[in-house]
Amino acid sequence: MFSIDWWSLVLPFSYVAVLGGALMTFSTIYRKRKAAESANLEPWFGPHLQRNIYLSLLHLEPEEGAEKSPKIPDSVIRAALLRRAVEDIHRIIQIRTAKAACSSLLQRGSVGDDLWQRFSRAEKEMEEELRDVVMEANALAPGWGQTIFQSANEINANTILRKRLDEIQAQTESEKQWWEKRRAQIQKDFMSELDAGDKPAVSKAPSAASEDEPVLVEQNTPSATPSGGKKKKGKK
Amino acid sequence: MSSDYSYDEEGTLWPFFVFTLSGLVTLPLSYVLYKGTRDPAASFPRIKSDYRPKNADVIDATRKKDRRKENKLWLVFLVILGWSVMAYTMYLIYVTPVTVRSIWNPYDILGISESASEKDIKSIYKKLSRMFHPDKIRPDASKNETIESLNARYVEISKAYQALTDEEIRNNYIQYGHPDGKQSYSIAIALPKAMISEGNGKYVVLIYSLLFGVLLPYIVGTWWYGTLRRSKEGPLMESANRLFRQYEENIDVGGVITALSTGKECEQALKGDKADAGLAKIESRILAPGETTPFAGGLSVKDKEKLEDLESGPRRKALALLWAYLGRVDLDDDALTKSKFEVAPIAHSLTKSFTAISLAYGNTAPILASYYASQHLIQAIPPKASPLLQLPYFTPAIAKAVEGDSRTVMTVQSFMDQPDAKRRSLAVGKGLLTEDQYRTAVSIARQLPYFRVAKAFFKVAGERCIIPSSLVTLVVKGRFVPPGSESVPAIDELELEDVDAAEDDLDAILGRKKRKQIGKDEAGKPIYEADTPDEVFPPLAHAPYFARDYSPRWHVFLTDSKQGKMAVPPFTFTQFDAPIYKADGTTPSFAVQTMKAQFAAPPQAGHYTFVMNVVCDSYVGFDTKMEVTLVVEEASKAAEMAGEDEISEPDEDSIAGIMNAAKGGPPPKKKRVAEEEDSEEEEEESGTEEEVEDTSDTNTDTEPEN
Repeated sequence: MFSIDWWSLVLPFSYVAVLGGALMTFSTIYRKRKAAESANLEPWFGPHLQRNIYLSLLHLEPEEGAEKSPKIPDSVIRAALLRRAVEDIHRIIQIRTAKAACSSLLQRGSVGDDLWQRFSRAEKEMEEELRDVVMEANALAPGWGQTIFQSANEINANTILRKRLDEIQAQTESEKQWWEKRRAQIQKDFMSELDAGDKPAVSKAPSAASEDEPVLVEQNTPSATPSGGKKKKGKK
Repeated sequence: MSSDYSYDEEGTLWPFFVFTLSGLVTLPLSYVLYKGTRDPAASFPRIKSDYRPKNADVIDATRKKDRRKENKLWLVFLVILGWSVMAYTMYLIYVTPVTVRSIWNPYDILGISESASEKDIKSIYKKLSRMFHPDKIRPDASKNETIESLNARYVEISKAYQALTDEEIRNNYIQYGHPDGKQSYSIAIALPKAMISEGNGKYVVLIYSLLFGVLLPYIVGTWWYGTLRRSKEGPLMESANRLFRQYEENIDVGGVITALSTGKECEQALKGDKADAGLAKIESRILAPGETTPFAGGLSVKDKEKLEDLESGPRRKALALLWAYLGRVDLDDDALTKSKFEVAPIAHSLTKSFTAISLAYGNTAPILASYYASQHLIQAIPPKASPLLQLPYFTPAIAKAVEGDSRTVMTVQSFMDQPDAKRRSLAVGKGLLTEDQYRTAVSIARQLPYFRVAKAFFKVAGERCIIPSSLVTLVVKGRFVPPGSESVPAIDELELEDVDAAEDDLDAILGRKKRKQIGKDEAGKPIYEADTPDEVFPPLAHAPYFARDYSPRWHVFLTDSKQGKMAVPPFTFTQFDAPIYKADGTTPSFAVQTMKAQFAAPPQAGHYTFVMNVVCDSYVGFDTKMEVTLVVEEASKAAEMAGEDEISEPDEDSIAGIMNAAKGGPPPKKKRVAEEEDSEEEEEESGTEEEVEDTSDTNTDTEPEN
């Protein structure tokens, strides 16, 4: 038997202990921080108003004093669910379009890792939300689950189209005014030109010049024409 | 030969070591420091202008502050430390006496010349041994002699004698330089003795563990987290993430400006009490009715709503300041004016990130919007405002007077292309520009680098036509024609062609600049023309309101107009191959510039029509949009076309033949006649053969739209 000098082994053992301890504390602290960070991540989408409306309609508490909760017509609940589906469609489209862009940007290092985490979480939430809506729809009317998102999609497309149309329509008033003004101006210039037509010298008002600019430019400075079209033909 | 190492005890070696080491570190650092203190923008050409906008001193101060920020204090400290270490070790080297080991020479010891004969040597040795034999002489205390030294001297003398007479010892001397044979030599490590001496060990270990246990992880950690903190384009990762959330498919320039205000950098610039001080004042100023626009800040109703939807805080203030900057709104407050000019470069740095994000989505409108936002930020012009505001002294009212009541804005080019008298009548007058101001504006307009595209076409290097999935080069030829240039020379047709380098021309293939041979001198050596600089930088953007020096970039990219999608991502050009201006720096040289971009052709044959966008990110209204058509031929067709005039078709079993087969080309035909028949049919079908033969590239040039 040989005896072991325990005292000389204190140093190596303490070294291993310190090393292991340091690594372990580092890893636990790091993981805790990561978990806290990902828990505190901002949600991708804001609060889901339509879902909240639907759920509060479904679970309406009876008013104080009243025995029963007020009866909600079926059509209202269905409309609320459809609204919820429309909002879901809107969000799912956003997620679908953003997915490819987000992953390629992440690979290139143009956006951060936490954005991707938020994104994938939102994606997962949306999947659950869709499943939930389908179940609710089936509960309200059997078989509705298959078609609710089709109608929601059409509603969504229609709203987008309407919005664009409204935007364009909103410009009509100012456009109309401008053209009125412009016509009056042109008429005035025309009349004055007719009046001055007897005289040989034709004077042009500077303000009226903007309309026939291109012609003027080409007449006077052929060398400095900006329009590539004419220049190009000359060279060929 | 001793094998154990000794340390540098006399201190003769380690100063050399330390001197070299610190020199290796200090000299490059000093160079970096020297480079940093000089203005990096000084090497760029500038547009000559003596126009000073209002608040020019504030803008200059901001510009200078940014430059100073780049000089790192720790760098200065390190350089000083390095130089002082070098000076100290140099001093040590100078002071330490050098111990020279003299070469053992028997002739010197005996005091004879090397040509002495053996007889002479013998007689001298006898004489010396009689004189210096230890038995004969007494040590002389006054000469500092002892018995030992006398003995040693005598031994030396007899050794020297033997080295010259005895055969064996003479061999030793010749071979090793010493009569005793091989001498031991020692290796000394160039570290000071103090480092390993007893008792200092713990300090050495301490320093060692501090260096490798603390400093190294710290440096690596800061570097790693520093790279994580910033996105690839430069802005903070947090800002990039926020910008990603702000992206919309149909975003316009105003929307981009609103999105840029989300950047974390804006928050950092407006910290503490700056966060919303004076916000109400800025907002009342920018939302006041402007000279020609509904709001002085130049924002649209939609942008105004977005601004008012924000919570008050740094972001809202940043956005308000940005609008104030774009609308050139006077804020009447030193602190606010300063932040107004500080916030614009920050927003501009964020546009890069936004561009990357919109490129990832691939929709044309946001990409263009982000480039336009960059232009507007550099020139301090609100979206949809007249590009004429880029010229000095122009205000919205003057621009409006020049433009008349037309709905579309007038670019600087179209303004400058009018005859001088007409321009003058539009712009000079009461309430408009004065004669002097007009002249300054025109002189600056005549220096702006407007890139006018002359021709754009596709080609594959060394091929006649473009086959599917080949590497296509988009060649854009054009000239810098500043607005209002007079007597622009016509373009030489030859310069518009892109000739492939000959196969044996290595210089051209490797991209080396070739110098033209002018003639030969008397000795027959060729004389080359003077070296022209390889890279020509365009002048720094003329942006009197932008508090940074910025070198303009040109982006060339292809889009699909039907789908509104990007087809080929942008290629960015910051330098050009021909001089833009003549030696005086203001007169344009009208040299033809070439921009080339390579991308993979579509995998199917057909005609592809793209919209080519050439966008300069520093000037408003200097963009070119034109249609280009990419004709992709079937691979088999292309092979036939090549077969028509080829001299030696690769045989099936040669390497070229195998390559041809691998590319999907048909196996070479056996009969020449059949081949010719085919090619004739071919000609009837396509009808473009001749053109193709003429220019050696698939001809797809089109005309610029504007």
